[in-house]
Amino acid sequence: MNTDRQLSVALIGNPNTGKTSLFNMLTGLQQQVGNYAGVTVEKKTGTWTLPNGERVDLIDLPGTYNLNAVSLDERVAVDVLAGHSADAAPPDLVIVVVDVENLRRNLYLASQASELGVPMVIALNCWDVAERKGLQIDSKLLEQRLGVPVVPTVARTRRGTGALAEAVTRALETRPILVRPRWPEAVMESLEYLRDELITQRGEALREGELQRLLFDKRSAVAERLKTTAPEREPILRRAREKLHMGGYQPDAAESLLRYRFLNPLLNDILERQAAMKKRSTSESIDQLLLHRVWGLLVFVGMMYVVFQSVYTWAGPLMDLIEGGVGKLGDFAGGFLTATPMLQSLVVDGVIGGVGAFLVFLPQILVLFFFIALLEETGYMARAAFLMDKLFSWSGLNGKSFVPLLSSFACAIPGILATRTISDPKARCITILIAPLMSCSARLPVYLLMIGAFIEPQYGAAIAGLTLFAMHFIGVLLAGPLAWLLHRSLPPYVTSQPFVMELPHYRVPQLSRIGHRLYKCGSEFIIRAGTVICAMTIVIWALLYFPRPPELAEAVEATAAETSPALSPAQLEHRVNAAYLEQSFMGRFGRTVQPIFAPAGYDWKITIGVLASFPAREIIISTLGITYALGGEIDEGSDDLRTTLSKAKWESGPRAGEAVFNLPVALSIMVFFALCMQCGATVAVIAKELHWGWAAGSFFGLTALAWVAAVLTYQIGMWLA
Amino acid sequence: MPILPMRLDRIKKDGLFRVTKLDSGNPCIARLMTMGLLPDQELRLTHEAPLGDPIAIEFNGCQMSLRIEDAARIEVEAIG
Ligand SMILES: Nc1nc2c(ncn2[C@@H]2O[C@H](COP(=O)(O)OP(=O)(O)OP(=O)(O)O)[C@@H](O)[C@H]2O)c(=O)[nH]1
Ligand SMILES: [Mg+2]
Repeated sequence: MNTDRQLSVALIGNPNTGKTSLFNMLTGLQQQVGNYAGVTVEKKTGTWTLPNGERVDLIDLPGTYNLNAVSLDERVAVDVLAGHSADAAPPDLVIVVVDVENLRRNLYLASQASELGVPMVIALNCWDVAERKGLQIDSKLLEQRLGVPVVPTVARTRRGTGALAEAVTRALETRPILVRPRWPEAVMESLEYLRDELITQRGEALREGELQRLLFDKRSAVAERLKTTAPEREPILRRAREKLHMGGYQPDAAESLLRYRFLNPLLNDILERQAAMKKRSTSESIDQLLLHRVWGLLVFVGMMYVVFQSVYTWAGPLMDLIEGGVGKLGDFAGGFLTATPMLQSLVVDGVIGGVGAFLVFLPQILVLFFFIALLEETGYMARAAFLMDKLFSWSGLNGKSFVPLLSSFACAIPGILATRTISDPKARCITILIAPLMSCSARLPVYLLMIGAFIEPQYGAAIAGLTLFAMHFIGVLLAGPLAWLLHRSLPPYVTSQPFVMELPHYRVPQLSRIGHRLYKCGSEFIIRAGTVICAMTIVIWALLYFPRPPELAEAVEATAAETSPALSPAQLEHRVNAAYLEQSFMGRFGRTVQPIFAPAGYDWKITIGVLASFPAREIIISTLGITYALGGEIDEGSDDLRTTLSKAKWESGPRAGEAVFNLPVALSIMVFFALCMQCGATVAVIAKELHWGWAAGSFFGLTALAWVAAVLTYQIGMWLA
Repeated sequence: MPILPMRLDRIKKDGLFRVTKLDSGNPCIARLMTMGLLPDQELRLTHEAPLGDPIAIEFNGCQMSLRIEDAARIEVEAIG
């Protein structure tokens, strides 16, 4: 064996069998572990030191039921095993991690993998469960029959990892291959035909196992990797499948039938003792309650209520703490920088203010992710998806979209991160794209300001509450049809997966794993705050701050001294700030694009507010505060801002002298904010989770949608009034 | 006693069934077949979601949920 290259070993297996747990045990490298089919989407590598001191690369692959290469996960698995993934060489050995409770189904995957010609060791994981349940599986007999080492392991407690390491060390020398079925004549002929057409005539680099994939799977992703173009290869593949059909085998069913026909005699007597436990499992009994039509739903609603209540109540004090800390830090830093007003403004208003406003969401995100991790680790998440599926299926989504979308009402960012639990790429993509329509808590200040200023005083608390509800509902109302449209119009490379979902056995969650997941998502969030968000706030700050000729301040002070000498120094400073803002780059830009927003009833000051809030929608409050000459330190409860807004008049144009803010304008602002993608962080997260193109599309699409809806609201409102 | 084949979406909870026919062209069913849901396999209907869709079946010790429209492509007969 060549010694210049480090040997590599891959872990494959059905979802949720303990691959990642084993990986962590063997490499000592912690990483995400979840009790939800398909959590590990990317391939992870670590170093494993064998007992003889040799170091091998260990690769953790996503869980797959088969190698049919329909889903992304399966495709990754086939590519790695066949040596077609980015770093080329196929692994020197695979460890198939098998759940002892589902031996038959798990060995199907092992059998498919053996066709790719990789040496194999089987880890019979969850051996503790087998012992507890009294399953007696003769691993030695299994080893003899299968022709590869079979080692009982308990990935949770490290049991059996020593024996596994020894077996792997030996197997790297002896290179044992799992017994393979002897295929009937019809299959052999079809494979021969494919080999001749593709390998001999067209020079494709394909292994026997990959030819099988091309033959047995109608939609195999292996086909997309061929050099032979689609119009040329399609007839070949169709012809091969026809041959199979003429030989008496339904092509779609052939592999499952034949492979199980081969595996069953090897396993039947070994599994016989298992038959004794045909009775209900504990999980099934728990599900009698948790999946009950009435009680199950009640428990679910109650559970969601507790989760989201906690997101607000538990996180509240921490958020206040962060807010207070950010304020103190601002004052502290500001104190040092009084000599250089520009630097002071950059540090205090720009960096500390902007990044601080983002960091405030950290506690909410951690609380939400604590619950998501808990629900996943126990196995409840699949049940939640089961209960909610019907609500989503009509629009091409599935039940797994529920929790991410609900989370998005707190904040779209954790919601979008939570879509990682959706294994269907198409449903995941749609869920990410509609998540920003769920009204997040950052919109609340805008609603509260507008409702407090223009609705509550005139129409009372009941209508105010109703308006608040309507603002939260409008996004949901549009999200359904949007999802449906996306489902029908997404490009075909975003493939959909059949919705068959395993309801895994309930498991006691391990706190250490939950802690690790929280640490990972928390640190990701903070890194984002320090990079993307920080950069964006600085840009917006600069656009609002420059240019800043000193003559302007002098001029404003001079006129103020003449016309209203009673102004306090603070009020005077606000006037100066407002004057600077008006002729800042953003101010000029606001005046230029105001005509675009005129049909929605906005003047140039609101337009600036809208434009400045694209990095983070809360900015509208402080921007309106500056533009209407109050100074930036304003929050939505401030009576001053409310009264100033209601007194504001059009300065020029056809409606000069009329109030800027009336009911239709207030509603139109709220609708705009309810629908618009005014959140740089969300755009960045979408770009990271999907692609920049999607992020840009989502940004422009939602902004256009918001504009149309705001214009309609204003125009209909004015027409009614 | 003649055994009448039934569609899986029409059967009631509780009771043991045996698969008689599957439409392997349906991607959901093709997936279930790779997990061992083949003709002659025994199964139980264990749960129904609140609106009757999706349903959960148990076979070979694993619980899988599938939608009614896909369940309609599986035929079973009662065996107890
Ligand atoms: N009782 C028991 N539980 C285990 C064992 N190994 C893993 N688990 C639990 O099984 C669950 C899934 O483990 P993971 O390591 O995430 O499984 P995986 O195969 O990586 O899952 P996917 O990446 O989603 O396919 C976790 O809750 C583990 O704590 C074991 O040997 N015994
Ligand atoms: Mg994993």
